[in-house]
Amino acid sequence: MKGRTAIILVAIMAGLFALIACEEEATPAPEATPVPEVESRLETVMDRGTVICASRDDVPGYGYLDANGNNVGFDIDLCRALATAVLGDPNAIEIRLITAAQRGPTVQSGEVDMLVRTVTWTTSRDAQWGNYAQTMFYDGQGFMVRKDLGIDSALDLKDASVCVTQGTTTELNLQDFSNQYDLNITALTFEDTDLVVAAYESQQCDAFTNDRSQLAAIGSAFENRDDHVILPETISEEPLGPVVPHGDEQWYDIVKTVMGMLIYSEAYGINSGNVPSAETGDTVVDRLFGLSGSYGQETLGISQTAAQDVIRNVGNYGEIYERNLGAGGINLPRENGRNALWADARCTDCPKGGQIYAAPLR
Amino acid sequence: MAVIPRGLNYKGIPLWRHTQVIQGALQVISALVAVSLVAWFFLNISGAIRDRDIPYGFSFLSREYQTPIGHHFLPYESSDSFLYAFGVAATNTLLVSIVGVILATALGIFVGVSRMSGNWIVSRAALVYIEFFRNVPLLVQLFFWFYIVLALPQVREGHVIAERIYINNSGISIPWPYAPNLDAGLLFIGLAAIAAFSGLTVHRALVRRETLTGVNSYPVALGISAFVLVAAAAWLFVSVAFGEAPFYVSTPEPQGTFGRPVGGFTAPGGLIALLVGLVIYTSSFIAEIVRAGIQSVGRGQSEAARSLGLPYMKTLRHVTFPQALRVIIPPLISQCLNLTKNSSLAAAIGYSDLTNVAVTMTQTAPAVSIFIMIMLAYLAMSLAYSLVGNVYNRLIRFV
Repeated sequence: MKGRTAIILVAIMAGLFALIACEEEATPAPEATPVPEVESRLETVMDRGTVICASRDDVPGYGYLDANGNNVGFDIDLCRALATAVLGDPNAIEIRLITAAQRGPTVQSGEVDMLVRTVTWTTSRDAQWGNYAQTMFYDGQGFMVRKDLGIDSALDLKDASVCVTQGTTTELNLQDFSNQYDLNITALTFEDTDLVVAAYESQQCDAFTNDRSQLAAIGSAFENRDDHVILPETISEEPLGPVVPHGDEQWYDIVKTVMGMLIYSEAYGINSGNVPSAETGDTVVDRLFGLSGSYGQETLGISQTAAQDVIRNVGNYGEIYERNLGAGGINLPRENGRNALWADARCTDCPKGGQIYAAPLR
Repeated sequence: MAVIPRGLNYKGIPLWRHTQVIQGALQVISALVAVSLVAWFFLNISGAIRDRDIPYGFSFLSREYQTPIGHHFLPYESSDSFLYAFGVAATNTLLVSIVGVILATALGIFVGVSRMSGNWIVSRAALVYIEFFRNVPLLVQLFFWFYIVLALPQVREGHVIAERIYINNSGISIPWPYAPNLDAGLLFIGLAAIAAFSGLTVHRALVRRETLTGVNSYPVALGISAFVLVAAAAWLFVSVAFGEAPFYVSTPEPQGTFGRPVGGFTAPGGLIALLVGLVIYTSSFIAEIVRAGIQSVGRGQSEAARSLGLPYMKTLRHVTFPQALRVIIPPLISQCLNLTKNSSLAAAIGYSDLTNVAVTMTQTAPAVSIFIMIMLAYLAMSLAYSLVGNVYNRLIRFV
């Protein structure tokens, strides 16, 4: 009897799952507009009074806790900028801490307004997870090893065991790299970055792979930083940026615009200290800060002077970078790197060699 | 003229008061309610999945997986399909579960019997063991064992305890048989099973003869000889037929820049921590189940055995334990299921079990589909355990 019940149970479950699958294939597109009119995300956020961002608290520079237990970091500041633009308050944020592997489901389900957790932009993620707004940091994957191994190239990692975080592009790139150069690398995968680091530090694995900037950030917290070396090879492209859930174009545009504000104001030399509150005569600057003309604030549904609040409270891209990733944070040089601006305003000295660039705000 | 009594007009109980009809209707109604509840639940999910454009489907299963799997018992290459990779990961979980269940049961019985021991120290030690490991969350224990493993000597120290047995914080490497020719290996395993069977048959026949006739028949020695003889013949046969021995022993040897042992069998640190954690945690529950089982057998039974002159261990083995098994088996099965399901915590300590690998798969495949597969896989494993347990339970029943 018991056995039969179990079989029936399995059969019912299998049948229902199949039902979902069939329905999925049977109805390619909903007819006309059966989608019920739902509240836009902007309205939801306004009603709620906070912007919910999925992020992290375990990597210095990007997302970690300061001495007072506050969430700080590059990713957190992007969330603050969004909250300021929409709600006028940089502290109206709620940070959901998630693991790398949770990122997809979290943003897919739409439970957060924005995902900013060092997320590499890839096409399949863009298709499956949500919309990528803007690349805010250009990174690439590297390896860290102990100096006393005497290795000076990632190509020497033959038969090595490499520690890696679960659910990251890092994991996928590692396999590609191992296959390409026939290195027979064994991956040691952990859910939690803290444990990856613990395993590497106690030499359970021979090397530690991650985005180079994160290697630098995590390495900066090591007791004996000088015992470790980051190998010269960069084995992948890792453009990082915020992701918003699919299905709300207006919200997607708002996030893109806010990211643009940060970059654009740096290009025009406006920082938190010199935000204009009266017309300056420079039409581009005046338009950006809502003093004359418009870059689409009404359509986007944000306040005319949103940029003033954002830059005054959070700072421009350069300030955010310096505070978290530069001299004020984990000390990643920006000058002449890929994360410098592509050009100053009106291209007086261009190109500057960087790749950070945003669509014009007009 | 006979008068027909009124009572003969009686046409039976009306339908709405008929017990069988009412009961039947209740069954149908409750079945309908249950099915529609479940159906509503799934339709709701599928509707939400469609509304939110969450990818769904199973076409990815034949695609190449292209992602590393840290440790695998079955051969695996990154060019293998998702389905195969899923099977590789499920095999990892299955083996962890089987080995874990065997060890946990053995340890649990040992601790449970110790708990009943007349020796005060032994019984108290068992009590402390049970209460400590039963009351600390498993995840915490797994982390504890993981950090213990990390504290072992490092690979580059090449730590050896005996010839060719390496122990370090990446794992334990031991010599292991390997078959150069898979067909020959499988053939020999099949023949060895036949050898074991014939050994057992000889043993059983001789035991029977001994009990019936009282003639000394040496069942153990002769049974083992029969097994060895048949197995040796099989080995010879396979060696001649395939031109080489079916199995060789491969020994681990440190190789390359990093001195990682290659060859033999290596159980990675995560696997060791996982197994130790699961076995100890589950054994503390099994110990209590064993104690309850033993206590459920009437005291008169063991007293009768003692008065017949049976020593303590024989009383336990031949009188108490067989009766206690009836009480022990059902909750023991549920502990086996728990162990299997708890092995999904492996992701936390870096062992590539089913959940760990499958969660990684959600990066490149639809998460909903993957999780449905994970659930079905665990369900299948648990049902298989229940089946085996229930069959065994039926065998040892009194009536």
